[in-house]
Amino acid sequence: MMLNNMTRFATVLTLSLGAYTTSHAAEPGKPDYTKMSAEALAEHLVLESGSFDLDQPTQEGGTARERMIQDDLQKLCSQTRNKPNAEQAGQIVTAARASIQYPEGGISLGDWQKGGDLAWGGFGYRIGHNPDDHSQRDPSGNCYNCHALSPQRTGGDIGPSLTGYGIIRGDTEATRRFVYDMIYNPHAYFPCTHMPRMGAKGLLTQEAIADIMAYLLDPESPVNK
Amino acid sequence: MIRHALLVLAVTIGVPVHADPSQNPVEVLKELINSVDSAYLTQSDQNLMMMEDNPALWTVEEGKALFHAKRGPKNVSLETCDFGMGPGKLEGAYAAMPRYFKDTGKVMDLETRLVHCMTTIQGFPADDPAVKKLHGSDTDHMKLQSYIAAQSNGMPWNPPMDHPLEKAMRDAGEVIFYRRAGSLDMSCQTCHSVTGKRIRASVLPNVYVPQEWSKAISWPAFRVGHQETRSSQHRLRGCYWQMRKAGPVAGSPATIAVLSFWTDMARGQPAILPDMKR
Ligand code: HEC
Ligand code: HEC
Repeated sequence: MMLNNMTRFATVLTLSLGAYTTSHAAEPGKPDYTKMSAEALAEHLVLESGSFDLDQPTQEGGTARERMIQDDLQKLCSQTRNKPNAEQAGQIVTAARASIQYPEGGISLGDWQKGGDLAWGGFGYRIGHNPDDHSQRDPSGNCYNCHALSPQRTGGDIGPSLTGYGIIRGDTEATRRFVYDMIYNPHAYFPCTHMPRMGAKGLLTQEAIADIMAYLLDPESPVNK
Repeated sequence: MIRHALLVLAVTIGVPVHADPSQNPVEVLKELINSVDSAYLTQSDQNLMMMEDNPALWTVEEGKALFHAKRGPKNVSLETCDFGMGPGKLEGAYAAMPRYFKDTGKVMDLETRLVHCMTTIQGFPADDPAVKKLHGSDTDHMKLQSYIAAQSNGMPWNPPMDHPLEKAMRDAGEVIFYRRAGSLDMSCQTCHSVTGKRIRASVLPNVYVPQEWSKAISWPAFRVGHQETRSSQHRLRGCYWQMRKAGPVAGSPATIAVLSFWTDMARGQPAILPDMKR
């Protein structure tokens, strides 16, 4: 109780003292924001200023800090606002190709019904004020957020419509390989695409990818009805 | 019921000139709709109809009483709080935030400024629920923010860019807006840079279309899906959560940087306050 009041007092004191600071001159330990480049300031604000709850645990094990640190691809795509030049695009495609791991025994289709649930689900990897508990349910694919899928329901249109995908593309070896690659790491074909890297980042298991592929390519799937 | 009808009436008969905070927010929205072809602005006829009875109008009324009441350990009202236009001057103040405040040496958004005034002027301890509870129509914050913001209804967004710190924060906010990271490689650009695009069934606002963006950033707004009046900071937290990134800390410099950029992108377009969203 006592301690509580003292901390309160201290807080009020700090706040009222703060009120008398009249210039924007850097506080000790705090850099002068006006002397930094926009990029350096943004980086500082995101990672060093206490602006995000970086200690939040994540489902992949680790903390939110790791999620906020950019990898090479994220950096390059952000810097170019998703319009890499030809040379950068080439590098991205090469790195993306190299990241793709194929299942032993080739790419096969799983269960389209399970795949449908995964394609229409937004569960998984959310943290912060309302974290997803992966022990309750497997993470899903989020595909419906960006794609039209089966004609019975409304999907998003950030990406192209995938309705009738199996009918249009046919369930060939080449199509399977392309769809697998797209789900695994779509930057292999579309450098700096908006589509997430669901295999390369370990968000979906091999089994889940096979099920979602079946949902797109199986003639029995509502996508192809 | 009768109080409700009276309030709506009072709002409706406000003189319909531009930049009049007593103008009905729905009329501001209709002007925007007429000024541009936008699937985002027109996506919900139902909301347009319901806006006449926007429950956020009550939050505004409650905020008015709270703003003028003597409260806190020092038993004074917020009437001497300076939101950038001078002590107690609320008209147009919110449309020009975030802005630099000399007394703190910081760029502040409405929420942070309120925290500042509640703790310094009224003497509330920083951990008092009045100061700390940020979310929900019943919180002091949502009431006060809604009331203060409503005094900018119909006015053009116009955050000052005179102080070097205002410019620095805005520019860093722009970089943060485009900064891809996290499990899904997303940035705000992923979902808010093309007109008429949908995530699921929701049409998304485009940051490059100022008329659309003006409605997008018009918070506080009553969110029909939540049945609560919500703030800008709450919206930001929601989008960070969807992106699977770290949760932003309300009032932190990065959030104020993003809000500085997002308000700048709606510059010149009229604010709809309070708004209603899906
Ligand atoms: C954040 C948005 C987003 C999400 C989520 C997303 N995609 Fe995509 N997808 C795209 C975009 C955008 C493209 C087009 C590529 C481009 O131009 O960048 C695309 C392209 C594709 C294509 C190639 C379409 C063609 O023309 O042949 C397939 C297949 C595909 N996505 C499948 C999926 C599946 C399956 C999922 C879920 C596991 C998914 N996508 C999730 C945005 C997304
Ligand atoms: C994965 C997609 C996605 C990303 C990424 C995203 N948002 Fe959103 N945003 C949404 C959706 C969906 C809504 C609308 C909510 C609804 O209608 O249910 C929204 C709403 C908004 C709104 C209010 C508009 C309205 O009508 O509700 C603003 C402002 C906004 N976002 C800003 C941002 C900012 C800033 C970022 C990045 C920090 C961001 N968004 C990232 C999907 C996204």
